[in-house]
Amino acid sequence: MSARVAAVIADDEPLLRAQLRSRLTRLWPGLDVVHEMENGRAIEEVVRAHAPALFFLDIHMPGVNGLEAARIVGKRAHVVFVTAYDQYAVEAFERGAVDYVLKPFNEDRLALTVARLKERLGSRPAQLDDLVDSLVARLAPKSSEHLRWIKASVGPNVRLIPVEEVLFFRSDEKYTRVVTCGGEALIRKPIRELLDELDPQRFWQIHRATIVNVDHIASVRRGLKDQAEITLRDHGETLIVSRAFTHLFKQM
Amino acid sequence: MRYAYLFEGLTLRRVFAVSAICVAFAAACVWFFLNTFWDLLVSALCVGYTSMVLFTIAGNVRQSRFRREHMQVLAIVAGSFLGTILAGVVKGRDLTQMFTEKLSGVSITMGLGVGIGCVVVAGLLLREKHARDEARLLQAEAERHRLEKSFLEARLQLMQAQVEPHFLFNTLANVQHLVETDPAAAGRMLQSLIDYLRAALPQMRESTTSLGREIDMARAFLEINRVRMGSRLDFAIDVPDDLKCKPFPPMMLISLVENAVKHGVDPCCECGSITIRAAEAEGRLKVSVFDTGEGIRPKKGGGVGLANIRERLKALHGTAAKLVLEENAPRGVVASIEVPASS
Repeated sequence: MSARVAAVIADDEPLLRAQLRSRLTRLWPGLDVVHEMENGRAIEEVVRAHAPALFFLDIHMPGVNGLEAARIVGKRAHVVFVTAYDQYAVEAFERGAVDYVLKPFNEDRLALTVARLKERLGSRPAQLDDLVDSLVARLAPKSSEHLRWIKASVGPNVRLIPVEEVLFFRSDEKYTRVVTCGGEALIRKPIRELLDELDPQRFWQIHRATIVNVDHIASVRRGLKDQAEITLRDHGETLIVSRAFTHLFKQM
Repeated sequence: MRYAYLFEGLTLRRVFAVSAICVAFAAACVWFFLNTFWDLLVSALCVGYTSMVLFTIAGNVRQSRFRREHMQVLAIVAGSFLGTILAGVVKGRDLTQMFTEKLSGVSITMGLGVGIGCVVVAGLLLREKHARDEARLLQAEAERHRLEKSFLEARLQLMQAQVEPHFLFNTLANVQHLVETDPAAAGRMLQSLIDYLRAALPQMRESTTSLGREIDMARAFLEINRVRMGSRLDFAIDVPDDLKCKPFPPMMLISLVENAVKHGVDPCCECGSITIRAAEAEGRLKVSVFDTGEGIRPKKGGGVGLANIRERLKALHGTAAKLVLEENAPRGVVASIEVPASS
């Protein structure tokens, strides 16, 4: 009589948890699903409380996802990733030591996974850090280091303006004007701070008080003294480029 | 040459034109004055060149207090005055005598200078205006082409938009489970999936669509997600029946609803709700998607679908349509599309 094997299933979709549990117990009578999780948030507590030998982790989960959870589990348990479809993920799994299950579940494929797991249970869990790192790099939504949204008060509401829409920012005494094709709004963040956070490829400072979105420039012409004047597409206001910044527009 | 810009437009062509006018004028005046042709020509050239230079400068000076045309007329008057004096100097006349005994002669020269100058300037300004109108026309044309291009691009993107495999396979996995445990629920979910796919697959899409159809598609999508996410998602659709037959651009509402699920409710571990509302006021149809999800963090991406909607709205309705995103209270986002309402 072999010892029973404890497993934990983590998936944010309740029906899919139930399905995986019923299929696994059917294929592997010696398996006990001791716990189910909606996301990876409490993974550390679960490892300590149940000390399971196996984790079935859905890659896509809110809060703490399957990859982050696998990192926390480390070498304390064997991990099987569960995913609906992801070319990169599947590629990575094919190469790596870790097993995976595709949704919707295929009975034969799941049986293979079970057979492999039974073999592996005797050995030490594999080190997953490299695999997880490469997957995180490929799957994680690229969160940009630059400002992507401007939150501005318009009347009683807080308007969310994507930076691509902004024609220019100009300081106006205590506030900064955010001008778009559709109108304008005021924010408190000063030009200096905006400059640090905006994408410098797209947003150029052209004056002590002005940052322009170069995507919306229609034309630049010489102006009074050593200044230049910018006209914008879809907007009537002319912007002054002060002498310190005219080099940005010098001909190549 | 720091002030070279002041003389922009002072071309050889302009110099020749002024010279020609002066010669013609001197030749014509010979019949009415006692002076010789050469004497008249020197006066005419002095007045003509001085006016021409001042006129050019007046046109190029960067100032905003006076209208450019006024400055140029003033330059003609000043040019005629200075030019007359210059003519006196060139001919070696006594300047004090010029302004006492010979004042009438001087006045005639100046007067003619101003008169002819103004006629020439009027002609020039008219031509300039014509050129400006032409340029504006060309610019409008270019803008139209740009819009047409962006419309085609947006359309192409729309045609290429595909059902996400992740969504499809997860949904099918749910159906697979329901078939065994709750066949009736499996049937309902399959029906929702069919409704969604019928609307979402490009080759099945029609070019014109009504708000009602877009709402049906959004509902099918939300039904599927409500099953998948269990108790984490709740939704409501609050759209008056009489608005459902209104035309509405395709695939925009579903984009907003997908965003609300994917970037709003799904990333939160707690439950969230999505509400679709539509209202018509003052000839405008406004459709809003409210979510109580995570909201937008300033550095979070995901504006591509929104940029696509904006481009398409602009191509369809110009400035008459808009997409606005606002924070929902106490949390989440409200995304609204406003288009001109037609029956």
